Amino acid sequence: MKALEVKNIVKQFPNVLANDHISLSIEKGEIFAVVGENGAGKSTLMKIIYGLYTPTSGEIYVFGKKVKIETPEDAIRLKIGMVHQEFMLIPRFTVTENIVLGDEPHRGMIFDYKRAVKEVRELSERFGLKVDPTDKVANIPVGIQQRVEILKILRRGAEILIFDEPTAVLTPEETEDLFKALRRLKAEGKTIIFISHKLKEVMTIADRIAVLRRGKLQGVVEKEKTNEVELARMMVGRNVVLEIPHVEAKIGKTVLSVRDLTVKNKRGIIGLKGVSFDVHSGEIVGIAGVEGNGQAELVNALIGFTRPVKGKIELDGKEIKLLTPYNLRTKGMVYIPEDRKRRGIVLPFRVRENIIMGQHTLYPFSKNGILNDSEINKFATKKLEEFDIRPRNIHVRGGNLSGGNQQKLILAREMSIEHKFLLASQPTRGLDIGAMEFVYKKLVEEKKKGIGVLLISLELSEIMGLSDRILVLYNGEIVGETTPDKTNEEELGLMMLGLKRQERVLQ
Amino acid sequence: MNSHTLLLLNSTIAQTLDYAAPILFAALCGVISENAGVVNIGLEGIMRFAAFFGVWGAAIAKNPWMGLLWGIALGIILGLMHGYITVKWAGDQIVSGIAINVMALGIGTYLLQAVFKTTGYSPPVPYFGAEVNRIHFAFLKHIPVLGAFSDLTFLVWLSLITVILIHFILYHTVLGLRIRAVGENPQAAETLGVNVFKIKWFAVITGSVSAALGGVALSLGTLSSFTNAMPMGKGFIGLAAMIFGKWTPFGALIASLIFAFAQVLQLLLQSTASGVAKMIPLGFYLSLPYFLTIGALIGVVGKAVAPAADGIPYKKEG
Repeated sequence: MKALEVKNIVKQFPNVLANDHISLSIEKGEIFAVVGENGAGKSTLMKIIYGLYTPTSGEIYVFGKKVKIETPEDAIRLKIGMVHQEFMLIPRFTVTENIVLGDEPHRGMIFDYKRAVKEVRELSERFGLKVDPTDKVANIPVGIQQRVEILKILRRGAEILIFDEPTAVLTPEETEDLFKALRRLKAEGKTIIFISHKLKEVMTIADRIAVLRRGKLQGVVEKEKTNEVELARMMVGRNVVLEIPHVEAKIGKTVLSVRDLTVKNKRGIIGLKGVSFDVHSGEIVGIAGVEGNGQAELVNALIGFTRPVKGKIELDGKEIKLLTPYNLRTKGMVYIPEDRKRRGIVLPFRVRENIIMGQHTLYPFSKNGILNDSEINKFATKKLEEFDIRPRNIHVRGGNLSGGNQQKLILAREMSIEHKFLLASQPTRGLDIGAMEFVYKKLVEEKKKGIGVLLISLELSEIMGLSDRILVLYNGEIVGETTPDKTNEEELGLMMLGLKRQERVLQ
Repeated sequence: MNSHTLLLLNSTIAQTLDYAAPILFAALCGVISENAGVVNIGLEGIMRFAAFFGVWGAAIAKNPWMGLLWGIALGIILGLMHGYITVKWAGDQIVSGIAINVMALGIGTYLLQAVFKTTGYSPPVPYFGAEVNRIHFAFLKHIPVLGAFSDLTFLVWLSLITVILIHFILYHTVLGLRIRAVGENPQAAETLGVNVFKIKWFAVITGSVSAALGGVALSLGTLSSFTNAMPMGKGFIGLAAMIFGKWTPFGALIASLIFAFAQVLQLLLQSTASGVAKMIPLGFYLSLPYFLTIGALIGVVGKAVAPAADGIPYKKEG
C-alpha cells in the first residue's frame, strides 16, 4: 500500500527552481531516504508535503487519496508529521507543554496540565522514547529534545513521519538511539521519510533511497542494490573521490605550543584538564573525540573567548600573555569555526562585507576609518572566483548562501589573512560531499604551504585521512597520541570512549 | 495603633492603589501583548486617547460609565490599528507604536480645544472618584491595611481583578499556553496548527483595551478632567513595570505598586519637608518616581528575560 505519492511537484522560487517535476511513491511501513547535496531541494520538497510551502504545480496523494496540503494543520489532519532540522521547541516550556501545544487536554477553557503529563508519560512508554514530562526543554540534551519532537508528532497520530536531517545535531551515541527508535516505529507500521546527506547513515537505516540533484530526481534505488560510491556519484553528478590524497608532511618548527592548559566551560566546571601539545609548521594535527569532551573549551581558549584557569599558549615561539581574539589573530592564527552561522559569518551582511571582516580596518580596505568600496569589491570578486563561491555575486547576503558556500566564504576570508597557524574546528560539519571535498583540498594545500593546522573533528574518517598526528580527547584530557598508519578507527573509538589509554611523553 | 497612624497607613495604601491603577493597566497591556510577541509602545498614546475620550463621553452622558465605554472603544480601535500594521503586515512594532504616540499628542491637544474650547485642561465631568460612585465597604474602615480597601474606585478594583484574570488566562488556560507559545516561537506554534495571527490579534486588542482602561483611570479615576499633559509618561512607566515584573501579571502588580508608592512618598515628603529638606527644589520630588524607575530597571533588567520572539514581526514563509 502506498502511504504517500507525489507527482510532478514543481516549486519555483524567485531565483531558483527548487523542485523540478519530482515524482516519488513511498510504501507504508518503509524507511525511505531522500538524499542530495545542500540546496538540492530535499527540504523544499518536504516543506511542500508538510504544507509550509505551496507548490507551483503538482499533485500529492496520501494513502491513495488526492489531497491539497496548504497548511501544517492540513498535514497533521492527514497524519503527516515532521521533525524539523532546527527543532521547533520552546525552551522555556516543559516537555509536556511542548508536546501537547495546539491540541491540549482541557476542561472547558482550562488547560489540564496533570492529564497532559499523564498522557505524555504513557506515550513515551508506548513508543520507547524516554523523556521526563516535567523537565524544562532548555535543560535537556539535544538527543532528548529530538525525542520530544518525535513524541509531539506521534501524539497527533502521525502515520508518515518526516525527519529533516535528524542526525546533524546528534552525537554518535544519540544517533544510535535515534536509529533504534526509527526501527521500532517502522515495526509499528509507521512510514518514515529520512532526509540526509550522510550516505553512511542512509545506507544503515534506509530501505529505499531517492537521490535529488539541483531540484531534479536522479533516481530511486534499493539499499541492497547500491553502495555509497554510486549514491555519491548520483548526488554530485560525477565521480567523487572522498579518499584524501596523502601528502608527506614536511615538519618545520613549532607554530603552536600549548602547555598544561586548563579551561572552565560555560557552567563553570573544568572542561579541559592540563592539556599539552605542539603543532608544527607543515603538519595537520587531528583531535579526535566524542563531542563534549573538551573540544569547545579548547577552541574557546585558543581563540581567546575564555580565559584559561592556568596554562600557557605560545604562538610562533612567543607566549601570548593577554589572550584576546584580536591579539591571537594579529599574531598569526586563523580560525574556521564549528558553527558557521553564529561564529563564521554575519548572516544579514553581504558577501563583500563578510569577506573582509577582521581586515576591514586595514589598508587597502579602509583608510582613516573610511571603507574603500572599489578595493573591497575587487578583493571580493577575486576571492569568489578563487574559492568557487556561488552565486558569483558579491552583493548576496551571507544568510542566502548555501551551507557549502558559506563555508567556502569563511575559508576564503581566513586563508587570505597572513597566518602561520590554522584552527579548523569541525570544518565539514553539515556540509555535502562536494563542499567537503573542497575543504579537504584546501586543508592539504595549507599544509603544503607550511602552515600548522589543528583539526578538531567528530568524523573519524576525516581525522584518519587528513592528520599526520592524532590526539584523542576524552573527558577533557588527551588520552592518546598516535599516527594514522599506527592505528585504526576501532582503536581510536575505544580511546574516544575512555576504554583505552596510552601513555604519552612530550618531548 | 492610634487612630491617626491608622488613618495615615490606610490612606497611604489607598492612595498608592489609586496611583498604581493607570500604571498597572499599562503594564498589563504590555504583559499580554508582549507574551504574544508584539511590543506596544503605543500604549502611552492609547492612554492619552482613552483619557480624553473618557472625559468626553462622561461629559456628554453626564455619567462616567459612558466615558469608560468610549475609552474601551478607543482602545479597540487603536488596537486594531496597531494590529493591522504589526500583525497583518508584519510591520515594525516600534514605528507603529511611535506613530500612535505622535498622533495622540497632536489630536489630543486639538480635540481639547475643539470640544471643550479650553487649553490646558477640560472642565470637570462626572467621575469614578466621586463619593456616590465609589465602592464602599464601611465595615473594613477601622481595620489596619484592610481599611485601605473600604473606599476605592471601581477602576482600582478592576485593575486588581484584571491582574488575576490575565494571570489565570496566561498560565491556566489553553489560550494562555498558546499566547506564550506564540511569543516564544511562532514557527513552532504554527507547525502545531496554532493560528498565530489570531492569537496575536487577540493579544494586541486585549492589551490595547487594558491600556485604554489605564487612560480612563487617569482622567476619570481620582481626577475628573483631562489635562493636556496626560499621561505624563505613565505608559512608559507601565512598560518599565512590565519589565521589572518579568512579563508576568503579578510581577507587574508589585512593580506598579512600588512605582506608585514612590509618587505617594514624593507627596508626603513635599508636604512634611522642613529645615534643609525645604531647600530642595520641588523638581527633585517630582522626578523621584522617574529616578526610581530608571534605578529599578538598571538593577533588574539584566536578569529579566523577554519572551524569545518578542518584537519580531511574524511572517509565514513560502
